[in-house]
Amino acid sequence: MIVKDAVCPFCGCLCDDIEVEVEEGRVVAVTNACELGTTKFMGEKRMKNPILRDGDRWKDITYDEAVRYAADVLLEAERPLLYGWSGTHGEAQCVGVHMAELIRGVIDNTSSVCHGPSILAIQEVGHPGCTLGVVKNRADLVIYWGSNPIDAHPRHLSRYTRYAEGFFLENAFRDRKVIVIDVRKTETANIADEFVQIRPGGDYAVLSALRAIVQGKADTIPRTVAGVTREQLVRVANLCMNAKFGAVYFGLGLTMTQGKYKNIRNAIELVSELSRHTKFTISAMRGHYNVYGSNEVNTWMTGYPFGIDFSRGIAFYNPGETTAVDILARKECDAALIVGSDPAAHFPRKCLEHLADIPVVQLDPYPNATTAFCNVQIPVAVTGIDAEGTAYRMDGVPIRTRKVLSTDYLSDEEVLARMYARMQEVLEQ
Amino acid sequence: MKVTLAMKPAAKGFIPIEAESIVPKNFLAGTDLLVWRGNRELRLDEVFSVSVEGEADRAEGVEVVLSGETFRLKRVGEYMDGGKITVLGGIGMHCGNFMSGGTIEIHGNADGWLGREMAGGTIICRGDAADYCASGYRGGRKGMKGGTVEVFGHTGDFLAESLAGGTVVVHGDAGDMPGAEMRGGTLVVDGDCSRPAANMKGGSCYVYGTARGMLPTFKKIGTVQHEGRTLIQFAGDLANRGKGNLFVKGYEYLD
Repeated sequence: MIVKDAVCPFCGCLCDDIEVEVEEGRVVAVTNACELGTTKFMGEKRMKNPILRDGDRWKDITYDEAVRYAADVLLEAERPLLYGWSGTHGEAQCVGVHMAELIRGVIDNTSSVCHGPSILAIQEVGHPGCTLGVVKNRADLVIYWGSNPIDAHPRHLSRYTRYAEGFFLENAFRDRKVIVIDVRKTETANIADEFVQIRPGGDYAVLSALRAIVQGKADTIPRTVAGVTREQLVRVANLCMNAKFGAVYFGLGLTMTQGKYKNIRNAIELVSELSRHTKFTISAMRGHYNVYGSNEVNTWMTGYPFGIDFSRGIAFYNPGETTAVDILARKECDAALIVGSDPAAHFPRKCLEHLADIPVVQLDPYPNATTAFCNVQIPVAVTGIDAEGTAYRMDGVPIRTRKVLSTDYLSDEEVLARMYARMQEVLEQ
Repeated sequence: MKVTLAMKPAAKGFIPIEAESIVPKNFLAGTDLLVWRGNRELRLDEVFSVSVEGEADRAEGVEVVLSGETFRLKRVGEYMDGGKITVLGGIGMHCGNFMSGGTIEIHGNADGWLGREMAGGTIICRGDAADYCASGYRGGRKGMKGGTVEVFGHTGDFLAESLAGGTVVVHGDAGDMPGAEMRGGTLVVDGDCSRPAANMKGGSCYVYGTARGMLPTFKKIGTVQHEGRTLIQFAGDLANRGKGNLFVKGYEYLD
């Protein structure tokens, strides 16, 4: 059986033109997806049933036992941490937020270690953004800043920028200029019309200099700024000002380097400045396929996009204090629920030391690095493969992911709903 | 009146305690106050050994002395408007948030957001202060609006972010981006720092040491004499409106 127009649950591009061939309950071929997406669709070696740590061994348990264990551990905690959420659908994220409020815990998603700083900047100066389709059809200048789509978002270039047709561009490939700004010459830099190499930690200074140049103050800028010559900065500023429609896409090279959200704020303010001359927009290259959704769901349910502390019964938000890495490094939580992410593969060692000391429950289809830190792991269906639900693309467009095959696994939403029901039951007693 | 709060050894590991009820004014009505540990509400005497000497009829006559492992105590002195709080050791995040009067003296180190969005009063920190000392809140346009913060040790990043009024003095070094987005007030760093006054709109920032990673968008005006020092004056941030003043002893560009 061939499933057409499947949605790829890998990166924030959320490509919705995938063809998946299914035979005997297995994905056997994938067409249109990039290598990252294909590998996800073809994924095997799933965990078969929930497991419980029993000394230095694993014991197989039932879903009911696992749900009961998870609910009891989280209810007992004085400051439970509910982390992850970018690898699951919006409906499961909703249950997660309700759960955080019910048990008065802290709910945080993976954006606190990726584009959280972008959101902090947006909260300061707003977001002059647009959807990917607008860029595809109109942009004659695209800037990738601190992001490397060839490796991380492979189809971004072919679907929306460098290699895409544009409705309002006569010859998109020739008319569309691409500028890459990075600390090293990436694969994406090789296909750019202009490559600007910045010394590490110099993004903020370069952004400030560009803002001043766009304002006509080029003569006050030193001869070089973080390894970039003034001549090149002026050339880049002119390219931007002479474009009909410019779009900036930035990645973790900007959000997670020195200055963090202030880099993004500076980039947004540069875009605002450029919009006095022409039309310019800026957007984040969101990583996981539904990390944008976790921000959306959290925001419309609590008012805040990530790092929400319900311990006092009301939502309190302060990244740097109520975010997972900070809480774990400071040992400020006493139980954790991990859904749709793998913190043990990404967090600093200090955080993992605390994760090893507290009870941890993980919902994930596969054994991963976090499995080593779990007390219980509950396998679930994979959204976009054997579960369906809503995901938000990197530009904020909600897309319903489809089921390409049926299995007996429960979805994240179903497992979380069972846990929530058990918690309500205990609290009512 | 002197209220002494000696913290009892923590029974439950490292869960922080939120104690915005520890404000001098509140002790005029007794010590029957509540604090929070995670999602549990506790009586003040479950966390501290409490003793009270003397009497007072105004907040100005109350001194609260905190001792023990107070480094995980958050929000002490929030909305304080008079009296004194003395912390013998270190203090946790958000000490002196929104305070408008009185004095907080910390003999140890202070954690993040010391004196966040304060409007008046004095905070003296004898040790180091962590990130966001005397700063604003997420997404806010104005940080500290008045009062004085003096830190004798070093401070972390984003010192006096969005400073809008008042005076902040740091005798040691400051981290990255002190005075970012500042629009008023005075910031003095005796030691070194990196990228001071980024995107400043107004106010004055003094760095008596070296400004590393100096931003390219500050225009050199000349040298000035300031309290017996020769400092280089810059106008900036030109990326913004360029109405602020930055004075540095020495500077290095990231070129």
